[in-house]
Amino acid sequence: MSIEFFLDGKAVTAEAGQTIMDVARANGINIPGLCGDKRISKTTSCFVCVVKDKKTGKFLPSCSAMPANGQEIEVTSAEVLEMRRTALNLLLSEHNGDCEAPCTLACPAHAAVEEYVRAAANGDFAKALQIIKERIPMPITVGRVCPRFCEKQCRRNVDGEPVAINEFKRLAADMCYDSYMEDLPVLSGKKAAIVGGGPAGLAAAYYLRLRGIAPVIFEQMDKSGGMTRYGIPEYRLPKNLLDKEIAHFEKMGVEFVYGKKLGGNLTLSELEQNFDAVIIAIGCWQASGMRCEGEELATPGINFLRNVIENNCSAPNPGKVLVVGGGNTAMDCLRTSVRLGSPEVTCIYRRSEAEMPAEKIEIAEAKEEGVNFQFLTAPVKLEKRNGKLILTCQKMTLGEPDASGRRKPVPEAGSDFEIEADTVIAAIGQKTCAPADIPVNRYGCVEVGNDGVTVRSGLYSAGDCVSGAATVVEALASGRRAAMAAARDLLGIPVEEENPINVSRGNWQELSADELVVLRDNLSAEPREKLSFIPLTERKTTFKEVCATMSAAQLAKEGKRCIECSCSDKADCKLREFAGQSGCRTDAYSGVRQAASYDVRHPEIIQDRGKCIKCGICVKICKEVVNKSLLSLQKRGFASCIGTAFDQGFPDSCRECGECINACPTGALDWRKKR
Amino acid sequence: MKKEYEFLRSIPNDPGNLIKGLQLLQSSCGYISVDGIRAAAEYFGRPEADVEGVVSFYAQFKRVKPGRYQISVCDGTACHLKGAPLIHEWLHQELGLKPGETAEDGVFSLETVACLGCCSLAPVMSVNGKVHGKLDRKTMMKILKEYAAK
Amino acid sequence: MSEIIKLKIGLASCGIAAGGEAVFEALKKATALPIDQVGCIGHCYAEPLVEACLADGSSVMYSNVKADEKSIQDILSLGGENRFEVPAARKAKELLKVLALAGRIVPTDLADYTANGGYEGLKKALSLSPEEVINEIKLSGLRGRGGGGFPTGMKWSFLAAKPGFDKTVICNADEGDPGAFMDRSLMESVPHQVLEGMLIAAYATGASRLVIYCRAEYPLAIKHLKIAIDQIYEAKLNVFGNRSIEISIKEGAGAFVCGEETALIASLEGQRGMPRFRPPFPTDRGYQDKPTMINNVETFGNIPVILREGGNAFASTGSEGGRGTKLFALAGDLQYPGLVEVPMGTTLNEIVFEIGGADRSHVKAVQTGGPSGGCIPVELFDTPVDYDSLRSLGAIMGSGGMIVIGKDRCMVETARYFLDFTHRESCGKCTFCRIGTTRMFEILERIVAGKGCEADLDLLEDLGKKIKAGSLCGLGQTAPNPVLATLRFYRNEYLEHVNEHKCRAMQCNALVDVVLDKSKCVKCKLCLKTCPLNAISSDFVIDPALCTRCNSCLDSCPKKAIIRAAKGDK
Repeated sequence: MSIEFFLDGKAVTAEAGQTIMDVARANGINIPGLCGDKRISKTTSCFVCVVKDKKTGKFLPSCSAMPANGQEIEVTSAEVLEMRRTALNLLLSEHNGDCEAPCTLACPAHAAVEEYVRAAANGDFAKALQIIKERIPMPITVGRVCPRFCEKQCRRNVDGEPVAINEFKRLAADMCYDSYMEDLPVLSGKKAAIVGGGPAGLAAAYYLRLRGIAPVIFEQMDKSGGMTRYGIPEYRLPKNLLDKEIAHFEKMGVEFVYGKKLGGNLTLSELEQNFDAVIIAIGCWQASGMRCEGEELATPGINFLRNVIENNCSAPNPGKVLVVGGGNTAMDCLRTSVRLGSPEVTCIYRRSEAEMPAEKIEIAEAKEEGVNFQFLTAPVKLEKRNGKLILTCQKMTLGEPDASGRRKPVPEAGSDFEIEADTVIAAIGQKTCAPADIPVNRYGCVEVGNDGVTVRSGLYSAGDCVSGAATVVEALASGRRAAMAAARDLLGIPVEEENPINVSRGNWQELSADELVVLRDNLSAEPREKLSFIPLTERKTTFKEVCATMSAAQLAKEGKRCIECSCSDKADCKLREFAGQSGCRTDAYSGVRQAASYDVRHPEIIQDRGKCIKCGICVKICKEVVNKSLLSLQKRGFASCIGTAFDQGFPDSCRECGECINACPTGALDWRKKR
Repeated sequence: MKKEYEFLRSIPNDPGNLIKGLQLLQSSCGYISVDGIRAAAEYFGRPEADVEGVVSFYAQFKRVKPGRYQISVCDGTACHLKGAPLIHEWLHQELGLKPGETAEDGVFSLETVACLGCCSLAPVMSVNGKVHGKLDRKTMMKILKEYAAK
Repeated sequence: MSEIIKLKIGLASCGIAAGGEAVFEALKKATALPIDQVGCIGHCYAEPLVEACLADGSSVMYSNVKADEKSIQDILSLGGENRFEVPAARKAKELLKVLALAGRIVPTDLADYTANGGYEGLKKALSLSPEEVINEIKLSGLRGRGGGGFPTGMKWSFLAAKPGFDKTVICNADEGDPGAFMDRSLMESVPHQVLEGMLIAAYATGASRLVIYCRAEYPLAIKHLKIAIDQIYEAKLNVFGNRSIEISIKEGAGAFVCGEETALIASLEGQRGMPRFRPPFPTDRGYQDKPTMINNVETFGNIPVILREGGNAFASTGSEGGRGTKLFALAGDLQYPGLVEVPMGTTLNEIVFEIGGADRSHVKAVQTGGPSGGCIPVELFDTPVDYDSLRSLGAIMGSGGMIVIGKDRCMVETARYFLDFTHRESCGKCTFCRIGTTRMFEILERIVAGKGCEADLDLLEDLGKKIKAGSLCGLGQTAPNPVLATLRFYRNEYLEHVNEHKCRAMQCNALVDVVLDKSKCVKCKLCLKTCPLNAISSDFVIDPALCTRCNSCLDSCPKKAIIRAAKGDK
């Protein structure tokens, strides 16, 4: 006896025994649901599958409700979707876990850190490199120069130092880069022009090629690499390694055209005529001034660095050097000056050391190399007297925090004093210098749409010229996004979106050591592996790379320090999947979360109660399918949980059939070994 | 089945009688121990995890040994309006106990109950089942003293 | 004046709690007269109550009797003090039908019950066909007294339609509403009346099993029912021709959700009391997978009355929104808390003020339906109390708990109290109820702690509506009601909490300081001695950091010089 009813206005027929969800599925409408499993009796718990009976106005769990003749069921009305979203938001609000690991979330390129660390620690460096290159196509460079966003968020900071994540990239690249080759798809016939051969442009080219679009890079200089070549000193990134890195792009079929400058001997309109897509990745090459009288007498930081690099590290001794600024470029200028033989190198910075934007390690290494720092000092005037440069400075004190959150320096009246120097370098910052036909915003950066890369259909932009001066890894991420946007517009390839749902157990800054959730085996309690540096005298007199790549043996030990924070089920967690599809927010409801009462006593099975949605599928599977009844629902209400008898963990009678794990919609039950 | 739980045999061992069996366990032993759960599971033919799930669902069942005098403070609506929270505060001040706890000397244990059905005498509490109504601080202290002296 | 031939003492739970047992012992010592231990007449405020039955058939009642010699002698000499008269206003409004025998007969004496018309309803039923019995129930217009208000006759006909006799009728005696005690009182005072109603149901629906699911917190009710069941077996009142009805009693174990029929059945079957999706309805698949019907205690208490007087006569009492009488458990801020029985449609004004003797100037609202219900402000007390009128105000009839809320009670705190209850009683099955009620409770905690914001009110409203729509059973479907109702009628109190951090009732501790008015203080130092935390200095200043606002000093002060005042106010 069949039943006729309506799903979103469409007449459908149900066979005996079919639920509304069954009928919807048979008609091509997938109603999400977390708590159903055809092998067991109904659980009717999650209410994610709600639909609305239009006549009665009631919401029904479609996994359990049978249709009635003539019933009009709403499946996708705004009200139904809102109920569904709320159910998921409520579940997220009590979820105690980490979907992605904090390192991956912190990485601008969203690299699968935990995965490549694990692969490399296990000795599979080729696999590690492959995972890295999915997001970071310049691992040789990034493995050396990255400011390590990932390590700053590493949970091991709670009880010591972070895992030396970047060293894994560096070794994997050093070991396997030459032999590695991507699977290249057949070219589609579409072509893209990329203006700028820096990291953003290279990344765009890389990911375009991987999507079957032929990339051509137009570079104004006679070599590519952009700031990685002309801005980063040799002692941090040896240029022979950069050459090797870029040579791989050529091997992949990326075409390079040198000596072409947009707005000079290259116009946007000719590119747009000859290519299906154009990506602007011209970087930030215009140095900002010191904004004081005589600023033109100062050497711009990036020009200083570029000059040294272009002359193969053999520029003349700059004499006594003052570098104004506190960023990484300033550190590069300072340390380069030391290496050029300067007798006295001083950094002038208007705030205190704590506010300095340069990496702590850079500051420390600069100090080791003998650089002086003069904090709370700002330039007022630069002038030339008797062949010497005289920088007039004033002392500053820190006032209230400004928009950036840093305390704003306030000049001290009457504190002016003079410093004499041979070279004054202004490393204040850089600006984009875009040709007139590229739209820019009030900061001078290329104006893009909400996706961060699209200027208009067919024209994209990526890297520093969009964001302002930033890091290599950010430029790579941006280039990848531009490539994906172009591939979507040209070939209809969907953009790989990150799942926006990332429940987190919290930043390490808010956690104590005993709050760390460790689901893996034998976490190492050893301290972080040490880097080996070349002797200080060599550091101060040569441009040799400062520190060596860690050894495989070191990394095998270091890998055991990784907590492996991410959820073992992140790729097929239904809660995360549906929440991502439904526009959910992890912070929609605040309140107490489930306790992190995870159980790793069993050698094979993890029970992580904080991730449980109390659907009870596992209980019923064990009882009704496996016929064991080793699990039960315990307590009630918000405190309810799934437990084993007397909280003794899975008993010996569990034959590890894995049925409960397969049925669990989240990572509350999982195999212990991450696959 | 352990000898000390033989009394369960006074009830038919139909699995549906589990709750009755647990009530008998509690009235006999004062609370439900791990061994008690094992005995009930064996006698009524129910998995241990399952029995524990039932025990933990119902507010009546206690998993820890209560004190000699079980104080049950009613937090029904009438009692709440008439000052049950204050009674808890006073008891906490006097005995240092929070609901669900037993004093170290084993004399008193404290719990909150939903309603004793004596709303007209609110606020009320019961000690070992005996209901004391129209409580204020003075009468409550007097009652505590009487029991403590017994 | 004629002489005393018998004494009756009310020894239902309320009588015992008020000290009735000591009075009973004292009476036994003082006289050889027979003393009947009866149930509750509903005037709980007057307990312990003793009735002296005189030879001429009249009687004199004594209230608030103490176990001392003077009080006892007063009664035995029919002295003047403590004589009890039912307040005239209550006498005029009350209509005792279901409660007619409560407190008048010995609950565990079958003969006493039959001598007063007991089991005549069953006799009448057995003289009719089952269909005719159900028809009488339908004619009576009786609707379920447990809260839902489903027409009882219709429910019975569903079960009767199932073939065979392998069916169960369950009496839901798991009176879970904290603040209601109608069912307790009925079971303690007239257990046979409840059982008679059940037997009539067994006959009419063809059920062979009767099960009473009673909360374990009611030991006296269980005791009386067990005795009554034994008496029924002995008198073979459970035998209809060749059918013998099995009657059993099972004790609940403390779970409000077991008031929900599928949860109740799971509990009876020895499982966790978690509701399941319906259909199948219990009439199709219920207790032990057999057709099952559930009514509550008061519903069964009405059945003998209907059979005795006939469905039509029964229906002549009450209003459109409900037929017959209704029992209410009156409690809270009023003079005469207790159990009352009035015709359906009696207004709240009549119940609260005329019967309950509440102070008109002091009452703010009444809460009906307990944690599933809502509050009704005093301005709307001309509302007749029946199923439909209450629902239109966002409250429900519920089982009949009626809590009078005085002006010195905070409505936000009251809502918080109910959510505290429901979120802990949620079985944990449905997402909306399990997590949603917890989130609502947390928001309310925030508000009473003075840490809420105006957006929280919208959040409460939105979440409340969704929880109602997205829950499987009545608990979740009604849990937000106390919040939604207070938000509707007392939004200003919420706004004061979130915007001004003020609780006008001076109830929310976080927003209140306890202060001592030195102009009234006589330096008797009682407060100093009382304060358990030594928060009062020798010069009578209360340290707000030490003070836990426990009110001990307020009670101790003979001059009422210590008051609760808004935090920060001097």
